[in-house]
Amino acid sequence: MISSSERAFNALGDPTRRAIFEKLRVSPLAVVHIAEGLSVSRPAVSQHLKVLREAKLISIHQQGTKNIYQINREGILAMRDYLDKFWDTALEAFKSAAEQTEKQNNTP
Amino acid sequence: MNTSTIESIKKELIVEASQATAFKVFTEKMDLWWPRTHHIGTCPMTEQVLEPHLNGRWYSKHEDGSEADAGYVLNWQPNDLLILVWQINGDFKYDPELITEVIVHFIADGPKKTKVRLEHKDLQKLGGGKVIESMDTGWGLILELYKQQCI
Repeated sequence: MISSSERAFNALGDPTRRAIFEKLRVSPLAVVHIAEGLSVSRPAVSQHLKVLREAKLISIHQQGTKNIYQINREGILAMRDYLDKFWDTALEAFKSAAEQTEKQNNTP
Repeated sequence: MNTSTIESIKKELIVEASQATAFKVFTEKMDLWWPRTHHIGTCPMTEQVLEPHLNGRWYSKHEDGSEADAGYVLNWQPNDLLILVWQINGDFKYDPELITEVIVHFIADGPKKTKVRLEHKDLQKLGGGKVIESMDTGWGLILELYKQQCI
């Protein structure tokens, strides 16, 4: 069983897939726009997209009849987790500082 | 675009201090408690500053004299409410276009006791397509490894 990060690592081991991933980091795109400027065939692009999807690096949503590819929401969730921990740390420090200040205020 | 939203971060804590002290320490004395490891400057941080008024700047000062913006004061109601705009994106860069709100309520729960409620919302905006590279762990690390190999 390989972990999801290993899978992502392997998926990005290919330069074309990295190029696709970088494109999608800028904005969500339909396959026709993903293929623009890449020196590989459309079927090859589709194959690369499949690998990226299986690695959970990107996801698809439908817009009319088109499939739009975008960076997986998990990336944003990871940032949320980071901030969540950040606020825990910060607020704990804030609590100590406020309580200490309160004590000093009461010391003549 | 993906219209799904990301759940706000919500924190609540009790501080054994008066409402006035709690508000003052959170704002004017932010430097006392802001984690030193969290800033976006290019060299070590010397001070975290929140200008204590409406539209006040929120930024960090650094050893080389530089300053790094983090956001500004959107709502200033001492000693009850503070709303900060957090403008650090998923790439740990200041982005003047980015508006995510940090809402902090200070509720007196006794003469020396204050309930502090913090909500950081609009987090789906942090994405902007850049977030993945920014993470210390996970995909960010993976991409960094690849970048190093590719240079």
